[in-house]
Amino acid sequence: MKHRITRKEDLNAADYLIEVEASMVAERFLPGNFAVLITVPRGERIPMSIQKAEDGKITMLIKKLGKTSVELDSFEVGDSLEAVIGPMGNSPELKRYGNIVFASDLVCGHAENYALCKALQEIEGNHVTSIQTFPTKADIYPKKELSEAFCDEYYLTTLDGSCGIKGHYTEVLKDLLDEGKVDIIFAGGDIPALRDLAGLTEPYGVPTIVTVRQIMIDATGMCGSCRVFVDGEMKLTCIDGPMFDAHKLNFEDIINRMAMFKEKETRAMEYYNKKILPSVGFT
Amino acid sequence: MAKINKTRVPMREQPAEERIKNFDSVPLGYTDEEAMAEAQRCIQCKDPSCETECPVNMKIRAMIEKVAEGNFEEAFLIAKEDNPIPAISGRVCPQEDQCEGVCTMGKKADAINIGKLGAFLGDWAMQNGVTEELHIEERNEKVAVIGSGPAGISCAVDLRKLGYRVTLFEALHIAGGVLQYGIPAFRLPKDIVDYELSYLQKIGVDLRLNNIVGQNIKFDELRWEFDAIFIGTGAGAPRFLGIEGEKLMGVYSANEFLIRVNLMKAYKFPEYDTPIVCGDSVGVIGAGNVAMDAARCAVRLGAREVYILYRRTKQESPARDEELEHALEEGVIFEELVNPTRVLGSEDGWVTGIEMVRMELGELDDSGRPRPVKIEGGEFTMELDTVVNALGTLPNRLFLDRTPELETTPRGAIKTDEKLMTNVKGVFAGGDAMSGGATVIQALGEGKRAAASIHGYLSGI
Ligand SMILES: Cc1cc2nc3c(=O)[nH]c(=O)nc-3n(C[C@H](O)[C@H](O)[C@H](O)COP(=O)(O)OP(=O)(O)OC[C@H]3O[C@@H](n4cnc5c(N)ncnc54)[C@H](O)[C@@H]3O)c2cc1C
Ligand code: FES
Repeated sequence: MKHRITRKEDLNAADYLIEVEASMVAERFLPGNFAVLITVPRGERIPMSIQKAEDGKITMLIKKLGKTSVELDSFEVGDSLEAVIGPMGNSPELKRYGNIVFASDLVCGHAENYALCKALQEIEGNHVTSIQTFPTKADIYPKKELSEAFCDEYYLTTLDGSCGIKGHYTEVLKDLLDEGKVDIIFAGGDIPALRDLAGLTEPYGVPTIVTVRQIMIDATGMCGSCRVFVDGEMKLTCIDGPMFDAHKLNFEDIINRMAMFKEKETRAMEYYNKKILPSVGFT
Repeated sequence: MAKINKTRVPMREQPAEERIKNFDSVPLGYTDEEAMAEAQRCIQCKDPSCETECPVNMKIRAMIEKVAEGNFEEAFLIAKEDNPIPAISGRVCPQEDQCEGVCTMGKKADAINIGKLGAFLGDWAMQNGVTEELHIEERNEKVAVIGSGPAGISCAVDLRKLGYRVTLFEALHIAGGVLQYGIPAFRLPKDIVDYELSYLQKIGVDLRLNNIVGQNIKFDELRWEFDAIFIGTGAGAPRFLGIEGEKLMGVYSANEFLIRVNLMKAYKFPEYDTPIVCGDSVGVIGAGNVAMDAARCAVRLGAREVYILYRRTKQESPARDEELEHALEEGVIFEELVNPTRVLGSEDGWVTGIEMVRMELGELDDSGRPRPVKIEGGEFTMELDTVVNALGTLPNRLFLDRTPELETTPRGAIKTDEKLMTNVKGVFAGGDAMSGGATVIQALGEGKRAAASIHGYLSGI
């Protein structure tokens, strides 16, 4: 079955939004789940966060980073993807947590932030706060794609202070923690930032759940490529995650191993640029 | 009667120095004449032990008789009666431990090359478009088969032939299980796997790819919708030794290495998107078929030195004889009696070597093989930049994690009774998910047995 693109919009110079028909994924989606995409028959299997699921379609936020995400950006509304598989991974329990904070600073992170705020705010007794960080004013997503509409409290920060609060989400969070207003934190995005977050929240003893991305292939628990270590025990991000207790996670290992295919990714990009761009008239 | 040739008709192969540059099939197949000549060596035993040794009891004697006469169509149809994928099993079965191991000819001369004859027939039928004619009498009952490896394939085929409405759920985007993602194309060309699998759809099995039972379809939904269920989810969970340094870049599970290369075609990178990083000196830990496959892939990916690192000796290697021979011909170096204790790495996180200890063989253990014992002071290191763990696998746990109602062994394999029914009524299991890891033909046999049990269960026999 082909998966037709029904909407595609730029979110900023680097990120875009894509909505595709994927009825099975949409019907069964729970906040925190992700999808695995195969864009073309020769494509790789790549995990992608899901922001929302409605009417048999799912919306994903994507950063132009490697060959596949750049190639997918050349697709247009009406084009189809080879496969959209999922929903994958586990969703956190949707229940009353009290004062919840969501923090995110990258595509995967912003997508979960949106989905989880929306689901958890509907539950009585939850007070939902969201903090979203962007590098600069020009990078901020259109308002309707932010989680602001589903929060009791919302903070927007930019690293250079060009809009909203200056600094990273960790800085806002520090104040909230000092005020003693946080029962649980969910966060996603840049891994080194999540490591810092874990360091920040641990002394406060506030449960901190982070969404991690490790390189995936099958995403069904068969290859071990996505392994991470939680309290020294091997876990697979695809079937045990993607959310883990930040205070038990070995971040250094994740950060180290993410570099394994960097050189190959650069080669794939060069190959793609050489093969594709001339044929569509770029020089 | 003409004198019987004591030696096998050899099968032509790509020479080692050629084949290490490609992923094409190593054996080049028999011609019609060669197949007939090989089959004519069979003395047609009255009581053919090859058939009793075959896990699916193929009618080998009759099949070979027809090949000897040059009646390939009939020979193929005889093979197909008991084995839905002869072109595949002929290539991957450990024949030396089964049919060929007990061949009467083999006592005084070379055993008949039963495997290669089976493969020849499968290929011949594919090239000539010959299939069996089926008259399926439809039934109303619906059966779900989970997993499209050899166990799932044979169960689905047999149930479909009996007229059941069969839906085959497969987690990956390509059907075939290990036949697709594990065994490399130079051993099992993928056009053959694709062809054998196309048969499933031809006979009306409803194949649903990208359907991960327990994940995007709940097991309960299947129990609700289907009258019986067969679980053939395999044993593909990755295993590591658990030694220091396994977090380094350049350390793979054999499954990751092989999935990248075979399923995702990383050997064609960057034409295909999925990459693989394979260094110059590769150490593969283990010595079974999986280890041989990983080592031979590494050779083809351009590694200069590829080592098999094994605790025992070549003699005890559980790999098929042919794979071990081929690996050695291709320059794979067999380091016997070594046990890795630590993977060494550089500051930037890449593998630089492996620390090992020399072993010697002691008394026989439970598996009947001599137990490897550490030699005091036998520590040494070897420079490597890639390490592949081929230690055997564990049952796939995605499905089992989400079905706590199914009873399993401490190692995570599904428990069944003699009819292959699990503790849940109407739910059957077979293949590696039940055995914990065995062979293609054993999985195939269990799929067939389960199909017979399911038929009994649904028709009240
Ligand atoms: C590299 C390698 C080489 C081998 N070489 C040989 C050889 O030469 N000879 C030999 O006889 N044997 C060999 N074996 C062993 C042999 O392949 C297996 O014993 C056999 O494939 C087991 O078949 P199976 O049907 O039980 O499982 P598999 O072949 O493992 O198939 C299981 C299938 O189930 C699917 N699945 C898992 N979970 C789910 C789920 N939740 N929902 C839907 N689908 C699911 C998987 O994706 C997979 O496709 C080898 C194994 C490997 C890994
Ligand atoms: S992606 Fe292969 S085990 Fe998770």
